[in-house]
Amino acid sequence: MPPLTRQWRSWQELADDPLFLARAAQEFPSLASALSNSMDRRRVLKLMAAAFAMGGLSGCDLGAPSGVLISAVNPAPGIIAGRPNFYATAHVLDGMATGILVKHQMGRPIKVEGNPHHPASMGATSVFAQAIPLDFYDPDRSTEVLLDNHPGDWQNLVARLAAKRNEFSHTGGAGLRILTGTITSPTLGATLGELMSHYPEARWHQWDARSRDSLRAGALTAYGTAAAFVPKLDNVDVLLAIDSDLLESAPGHLKFARDFAARRNPTRTDSMSRVYAVESTPGLLGAAADHRFAANPAEMQSIIAALAQRVLRGDASLATDAPPWISAVATDLLAHPGRALVHVGPDLSAEVHALVHAINDKLGGRGSSYELLASPEHTPVDHAASLQALTDDLDAGKVDTVLIVDVNPVYSGPGSLDFARSLEAAKLSISLSVLPSETSPKTRWALPMAHDWETWSDACAYDGTATIMQPQALPLYNGKSPLDVLALFYTAEPPTPQTAVRATWQSRLNDTPDGAVWHAALAAGVVTGTRSAPITSALRGAAATIQLLATSSRPLHVVFKPDAQVWDGRYANNAWLQELPRPLTKLTWDNPLLISPSLAQRLSLRNGDHGKLSVGNKQLTAPVWIVPGQAADCITATLGFGRALGRISHNAGTNTYPLTGLADAPTLEKVVGHDTLACTEHHDLILNVGEHIVRHGRLADFQSNSALFKDPEPAPEIYRHHPPGPAAWGMSIDLNACIGCNACAIACQAENNVPVVGKEQVIAQREMHWLRVDRYWEGSVEAPDAYFQPMLCMHCEQAPCETVCPVGATVHDAEGLNVMVYNRCVGTRFCSNNCPYKVRRFNYLAYADEEQRAIESRNPDVTVRMRGVMEKCTFCVQRIAEARIAADEAGAPVGPVQTACQGACPSRAITFGNLADPGSEVSARKKSPLNYAVLGDQNTHPRVTYEGRIRNLNPDLAAPPTHDPA
Amino acid sequence: MSAVIDKVADIALRHRSGRWWSAFAVAGALLLLLVGATGWLFYRGVGVWGIDWPVSWGFAIINYVWWIGIASGGTFISALFFLMETDWRTSVSRIAETMTVFAAACAGIFPILHLGRPWLFYWLFPARNTMTLWPQFRSPLLWDFFAVLAYVTASILFWYFGAIPDLAALRDRASSRRRQIAYGIFALGFRGSDTQWRHYRAVYGTFAAIMAPLVVSVHSIVGLDFAGASTVGWHSTEFPPFFVFGALLSGLAMVLLLLLPLRWMLKLDELITPRHFDVLSRLLLMSSLLVGYAYVMDVFSVYYSGDPAELAVFHTKLHGAYAPVYWATIVFNLLLPQLLWSARLRVNPFLIAIVSVGVIYGMWCERYSIVVLSLRRSDLVSAWGNYHGTLWDYALLFGSIGLFSVGLLLAVRYVPVVSMADVREASEAP
Repeated sequence: MPPLTRQWRSWQELADDPLFLARAAQEFPSLASALSNSMDRRRVLKLMAAAFAMGGLSGCDLGAPSGVLISAVNPAPGIIAGRPNFYATAHVLDGMATGILVKHQMGRPIKVEGNPHHPASMGATSVFAQAIPLDFYDPDRSTEVLLDNHPGDWQNLVARLAAKRNEFSHTGGAGLRILTGTITSPTLGATLGELMSHYPEARWHQWDARSRDSLRAGALTAYGTAAAFVPKLDNVDVLLAIDSDLLESAPGHLKFARDFAARRNPTRTDSMSRVYAVESTPGLLGAAADHRFAANPAEMQSIIAALAQRVLRGDASLATDAPPWISAVATDLLAHPGRALVHVGPDLSAEVHALVHAINDKLGGRGSSYELLASPEHTPVDHAASLQALTDDLDAGKVDTVLIVDVNPVYSGPGSLDFARSLEAAKLSISLSVLPSETSPKTRWALPMAHDWETWSDACAYDGTATIMQPQALPLYNGKSPLDVLALFYTAEPPTPQTAVRATWQSRLNDTPDGAVWHAALAAGVVTGTRSAPITSALRGAAATIQLLATSSRPLHVVFKPDAQVWDGRYANNAWLQELPRPLTKLTWDNPLLISPSLAQRLSLRNGDHGKLSVGNKQLTAPVWIVPGQAADCITATLGFGRALGRISHNAGTNTYPLTGLADAPTLEKVVGHDTLACTEHHDLILNVGEHIVRHGRLADFQSNSALFKDPEPAPEIYRHHPPGPAAWGMSIDLNACIGCNACAIACQAENNVPVVGKEQVIAQREMHWLRVDRYWEGSVEAPDAYFQPMLCMHCEQAPCETVCPVGATVHDAEGLNVMVYNRCVGTRFCSNNCPYKVRRFNYLAYADEEQRAIESRNPDVTVRMRGVMEKCTFCVQRIAEARIAADEAGAPVGPVQTACQGACPSRAITFGNLADPGSEVSARKKSPLNYAVLGDQNTHPRVTYEGRIRNLNPDLAAPPTHDPA
Repeated sequence: MSAVIDKVADIALRHRSGRWWSAFAVAGALLLLLVGATGWLFYRGVGVWGIDWPVSWGFAIINYVWWIGIASGGTFISALFFLMETDWRTSVSRIAETMTVFAAACAGIFPILHLGRPWLFYWLFPARNTMTLWPQFRSPLLWDFFAVLAYVTASILFWYFGAIPDLAALRDRASSRRRQIAYGIFALGFRGSDTQWRHYRAVYGTFAAIMAPLVVSVHSIVGLDFAGASTVGWHSTEFPPFFVFGALLSGLAMVLLLLLPLRWMLKLDELITPRHFDVLSRLLLMSSLLVGYAYVMDVFSVYYSGDPAELAVFHTKLHGAYAPVYWATIVFNLLLPQLLWSARLRVNPFLIAIVSVGVIYGMWCERYSIVVLSLRRSDLVSAWGNYHGTLWDYALLFGSIGLFSVGLLLAVRYVPVVSMADVREASEAP
């Protein structure tokens, strides 16, 4: 390279001046590094040209792969203005993939739908997947490389890693530690494998805040491999679920919910399943069960011991500490060989899991009521031990370089470790995260991670089925893929994530030269034939002989559960999830300690009073919340709140992680202080008033009288209005299938631009959800039954709201929709007063304006409502309009329409369609003998009706007091 | 009698009273509060109030119904008793009518402030528009809008028209040129000729004949605002007469309450005599009994229907969190006025003040109980909620009292507080 000409010599001298360089490094870190490199003419001109171009194009996206930064005159192929495009990818939680389809409008991802081809989705989505768009466009995302919490330079890190490569190649990678969550991604796994093969001395640690160690260890004991236990609930006649997460968060829970629901409505299945649930804190499975029993963790242990006694050893005598109902349940299980299943949750010990494997084996369900598949995890390990080992190595000074990929141990590490302090020992620490986390400021280098929608990747589902994850949008920020960073540890020229993923699948797909298989896999969102094979090993004898150690009974127990909506805290900055009422408690924006009514009485605590929970030498003060059905001497502390960062998550709730991982007995005492909590149940606890609202009965009664829920024939009416049609839109909601998971509520929020109002406004009773899931208790406060009821606009044929609006802002259309004309609304709110179902929501303040939300993330087909305007469920009128247009184009009658809530529902509880078409599914469901209208006596003739809930009680068990269906 | 007339004219033309100024200062401060609270309301939206889901109507509607009820008092006294040719009405009718005008003005602003988008209130008019949209004629709110508009307009005209001869008299008595011109403009050239008097009396009589049914219709429509809804606690056929009774009760109480300080402030002892207090107190007692009848009917219909939701609402009224509101209604509207059975107490100014303040407060509580206690307990248990007024709710309530007082004080300052023409006519009658 020719040296610079003379004119530039003084500049060169200046650039060599260390004082100037130091100042420049402070001011312009990347300039300093540019200046410190040797300059040649070409490079200077390139830099100048780039500065010139970037200055003019600062608003443009830097991530355009082809480098074209001019907006298209002709749209990209396949994009038609106003028409959505769908692209398949997956949502990955703790390594486990759930297939999703992302809906794009003009190239912008705006909505998530389930992928019907994917075994973990079956077309449904979880609340987490529905909320991704808000995460993707989150203005709090990590945007730049940080070095010691100041803007750093990626090239500097690359140079640093180059030096490290040199060093590690001599030492075999001694002192290199990688910490990730559970990994099922074949490409990431291969990259890690490559790294390990370069550096045999390096160590890879895995750790997720939500521990599933006991599952792995239990399977290991029982079968010698960490096999995945996959229930087949559609084949299960009798289910005993103890502390189970099957319906809410177990990998594959959407599929399990679908299978579960298939056996719960006696009008659609010949043999309704019977479900027993044992829970410490009310959960989805307990609410859906026929019999629910509250028990603390020690009692669960003895229940399982008693069960093992009976099933494995044939000993019918009951231990003294086992509850009496267990013998009836065991008899029921034993009476259904091959069709009975016991499922236990991840918070129970490894011994329990191993023993339950033995019980299930004995019950003969292997292959029919459950399967054991090879684990989809890339090298399953014990996470707690893995993190402990890493901390020990850090403390011992053995760690030179640590890379933390998308986990947040500083926040969610167990209280027995002080990871932040241990981390200081590492010479070079690098973290990679999509959102700034508590861990990132504690590492020297904090790198922005590319969102799953911005890069190429892959992942496997609970059953091993792989999905290739394609980017959904150009990167919003300069995020790095974990593949980029990991590969830099062993090569100077890492392949792009796309190349890496393609390379992984090149060999596995057995592709044609034109890549047909690859493209088919991308389009379907599923790589066919990748489901894990069932394991063949037989149960080891040792599992059946495990004697559970009787745990010493403590006066008080505490259980830590990840939050139903913000999970382990990773979604805490998602306002949709924060404001979505928790299924059973209906709480938003907070995580009080959940206590039982009797404990509350003993400590004279009311809802919102502060309690001090101490475990060992750690303690925290948080408000308490009294939960009916909570095990008497058991406190539930919800994880995932009290984050230090993020404009949404900051100040929401209390961090309970510091109390985890400790063996000491907990204590709770009342302390001074009271908080008002944002619960969407704006009134005091009510029991036993909803019988006519949520109708329910026993299977035996239904079999003797199928007209259990029939209303008397209505008297003739003078003013009966019949919308003329041609179509007649209606909905049927099966309360037997509804598990109360909230997926419908958040899908509605995402589809319809429903604003978030914030904690204060929820306390002021102004939440905006168009669809809410009502939860009713019935029975005693100690052991109540829970009933869910999704409640949305009923689209009454005789709508009371319409007659009272003075300006005609809410009117009926010909197809039976009760439509809301936002433009015409002046905001008298009379319609809301007159709505018996109270499903109308009012913009008391300018909620939509106040949302800190990217305008691109809204659904362009749905009006954003201004302040002072009433709004409510529209039956997704934009989707109906789309179908109508398509029908007009085709000259055919209007085809099927799926509402957002219906699409998300994992158990297919919601059916929507054309009642004028006698062949439609909704027409069939409306003919069900369980069909009834809520508040039908108001003569509103709602287009939404419900199928009443039937419970299949065990006649041998003293039935809980229920409403007598008279 | 002419001495009395001179005195009345003097109040309007020459009176300088420290008492008036201090009252005006307080009222003016409250009016400023109204202006400030309204400004904040328009800037932020109705969310500054305590209204919520499910209680989406709150103070604005309560205050509206309260004020419109109070406004009825003047109309009853001046129109109904004019038609019945009652003699005692002459010395109190002007005060009562003035009260009506400003109470109706207060009532008139609340439905507009109540709206989510108040700048579009005119959409309730059946006015021509490019979308050829009509208002929705089945809604009670629309008819309420018409009824209130008609009532406020008619009240102002009735009040003004009745004052024309007096304004003419002031014009003739005024000493300064400015006053002569000002009163002259408002007197509309009334010279007191026989023809003018004949026309005047014919029109006044017609007005009175219109006003008397109008006051009944406006309160019936207000009752229908509630009864026309299928909402629990509102859906009752007795509401229209119930609201007329309630309006009469609060209107009479407000007239009584105003007579006491005005009599003292303007030294009108000769004109407003114990006889007036006695008659008005009897009327108050009667209307209290009518309201009591409505309360009993309310209870009867709840238990007769046996509807669980109606029963739930009623039981929360009796012993729920807001039970004091319901019991205040019973005590102040029904029990307290029973003291007026005693002829001695009927002329005791102190007791009259207590009873009328009690009734006015009790009527506010009654409206609170109707609006809030019903809405917070609907048919669907999951939609039960609570309600509390915020600072801005109270600011508007007290601010509207400021508007009322400022208007009233200005009116008694510049318009004769007693109809001079009527007094002269009464004194000259055989």
